[in-house]
Amino acid sequence: MSRCDFKIVLLGSEHVGKTSLVLRFVNSTFNSGTPYQNTIGAAFCAKTMRSNGKDFNIGIWDTAGSERYEAMTRMYYRGAHAAVICYEPCCLESWARLRHWLQELRTVEEECKVYLCGTKKDLLDSGMVKREVPEDIVATYSQGLRGHFLTSSKTGENVEELFQKIVDDCVADAKLMRNVEEMRVQLLKEEEAYKAKHKEYCNC
Amino acid sequence: MASTSKDNVQASTSGQGNPADDLEPGACPESVLNPSDSFEEFASEMSSSLQERNINLKSKSSTISEIQSEICDGNKDNTEITSTKSSDDLQSKDDQMSALASSCNLSNQNGEDSDNEKDDYLQSPELVNKEKHVFVLSSAGKPIYSRYGNEDRLAGLCGVIQALVSVVEDQNQDILRSIITKDCKAVFLVKGPLILVAVSKSNESETQLVLQLTYAFNQIVSVLTLTQLNRIFEQRRNYDLRRLLSGAERLIDNLFIFMEKDPAFLLGAVRCLPLPEKARENITNAITTTCHKIRDLVFAILIAGNQLITLVRMKKYTLHPSDIHLLFNLVRSSESFKTAESWTPICLPKFDATGFLHGHVSYISEDCQACLLLLTVQRDAFFPLSQAKHTIAEKLRRSNCLVAINDALNRNQELPTTNPLKHIGIPEIRHFMYKCKSTAQLFTSDPISLDRLQDYRIRHKEGGDVSEKKIEKLSDIDYVRNYRKFCSKIHCTSSPAKLIFRSNSDDTVLAWVTNGFELYVTFDALMEKDQAIKAVDRLLRWIKREEQRIFIMNAPTF
Repeated sequence: MSRCDFKIVLLGSEHVGKTSLVLRFVNSTFNSGTPYQNTIGAAFCAKTMRSNGKDFNIGIWDTAGSERYEAMTRMYYRGAHAAVICYEPCCLESWARLRHWLQELRTVEEECKVYLCGTKKDLLDSGMVKREVPEDIVATYSQGLRGHFLTSSKTGENVEELFQKIVDDCVADAKLMRNVEEMRVQLLKEEEAYKAKHKEYCNC
Repeated sequence: MASTSKDNVQASTSGQGNPADDLEPGACPESVLNPSDSFEEFASEMSSSLQERNINLKSKSSTISEIQSEICDGNKDNTEITSTKSSDDLQSKDDQMSALASSCNLSNQNGEDSDNEKDDYLQSPELVNKEKHVFVLSSAGKPIYSRYGNEDRLAGLCGVIQALVSVVEDQNQDILRSIITKDCKAVFLVKGPLILVAVSKSNESETQLVLQLTYAFNQIVSVLTLTQLNRIFEQRRNYDLRRLLSGAERLIDNLFIFMEKDPAFLLGAVRCLPLPEKARENITNAITTTCHKIRDLVFAILIAGNQLITLVRMKKYTLHPSDIHLLFNLVRSSESFKTAESWTPICLPKFDATGFLHGHVSYISEDCQACLLLLTVQRDAFFPLSQAKHTIAEKLRRSNCLVAINDALNRNQELPTTNPLKHIGIPEIRHFMYKCKSTAQLFTSDPISLDRLQDYRIRHKEGGDVSEKKIEKLSDIDYVRNYRKFCSKIHCTSSPAKLIFRSNSDDTVLAWVTNGFELYVTFDALMEKDQAIKAVDRLLRWIKREEQRIFIMNAPTF
């Protein structure tokens, strides 16, 4: 298993649907049958994506939204190429937390590309819930960022688009790509060194 | 008809020829588990004075920092590790604590209902007629957890509990331990900044209930660490802990279901998944050969269906059964481990209550329900451990170990351990459970299968109400329930029984404890004593013969 080319981290308060978003994206599934369970710590998923005619391995850290893991979440966005901050348009509280994450990222990881993601679009569309976060405020906030997506993990709407945009943006970033290439070469070297060593070991 | 004998039973029975070897079934020179008995601990919990309790709160030295410093000693140039103190994650949390506090007070005031309404709530169907209630509150009387109903609406009740506890403490300089009424026991446990209460109509003894409350406390410590828990309440006595525990309630819920059902808790032992000796050896080898170079790895644990498959450990360190039970509970309660690799902070209270271990948790493959936990003190170790996991999974597949695990889990008919009673061939035995004391491992006549575990949880969802209806066919859970009072007589500290034989028109139960093992057997009704002892003898021989399959008989290290 090789390391990932791009590191993406999902942030946001609990119960906004970060895990569902990842499961939709990675496994193309949405399980409406299982009751909500909070993520403990963080979960890691990887997927290969194509951009500009080339394959890239992306690793996604799905972090816990619960407050008690907040201090630990820092280690997941350290060195992340992109961050998706999730909120629920029908939950003002989750928007307040989003602003907290924005601030954190701006001070700790300046290089990180930041995307906003409103979740549970299907609920909003069906009129089952009322929008609490005004659209113009969202628009103001997303101006300085790489993009804003309104997604539904249930229907899959905009999920692929969000991650494709992230990968395309990363690939278009010359400086980032230089680092990625260097990493790949480094990894290849290490692997060869390991193999050589391993052979030696096997012979004796 | 009941007889309890405390004299030398062992001598009289061994005369009839105990299992040929000197060692009791399941015993081995070194144990993966720390066999220290929890019962003594709970007994001391029950008899400690107020001062002793307050002293005990001061936590001991940290095992995790011990391991970290050890790693650093051998590796001085690696400065990165020295900086990872287990507690530094928590530091920043404190700064926010005071900010949060003001909002807590507000919500509390909003929650004030009129007294009448509260009294009505205590009579609501959500709360009445439950077999066992559990409440957790802060020592300031703020509700933290209730097994049933909504904690917010139980603020009044929690106030009463807090008042009862503090009146006994302040005015009488004593500890409130329990209140017993005709059909109900209320047991109190004050631990650190928390008050835990169980109100039970079941036949569990006071000690058994204290044990369960201690588990609940440990479950809370397991998600927060004792350091953080104490610090929160040192800073704000009034803090609403539910903020930090959110999402962990289901762990406590499931823990109580698990404790009521599984004899592992009753006996303070761990169940192992019965496996052919060779298969278990291959699994252990796959883990040791893959992981022996990963320096910071403390434990590698493979489990399936609340049973231990293997445990590989860092030299010098063992795990306590109660820590393993918490890991079982965590894995059983978290569907998310099935879909992705998790990187999870886990505090194991018996191992080190002051800090987190970091666990790489994942199922071994999509077609095998075994879950691998790799626990380390190094919090940046995800990728090497992820790599190790994939290597292990590949090795297990190649050596057909996944098939062996699946066979055991699905109770493949051809294994002798699938239906032990049938294989043993003593028709009078209806049920038994056996604990090897030196290794803290357990075997019962009804090995767990995954579908039945599921079944129990679904049934439990329906209520937890006290049921009146007469059960026609006993399930394994009912047998375990029947053993409770025998267990409490045998674990009684003031005058422990060594052998209990009780026979009536329903069934015959024999409970026997020696230096090496504990055995509980249910026979047909009105069984003669000598006949029962002969049967037990045959049973022990069978367990001895199968011990390599049903127990972990070695204590592998990296």
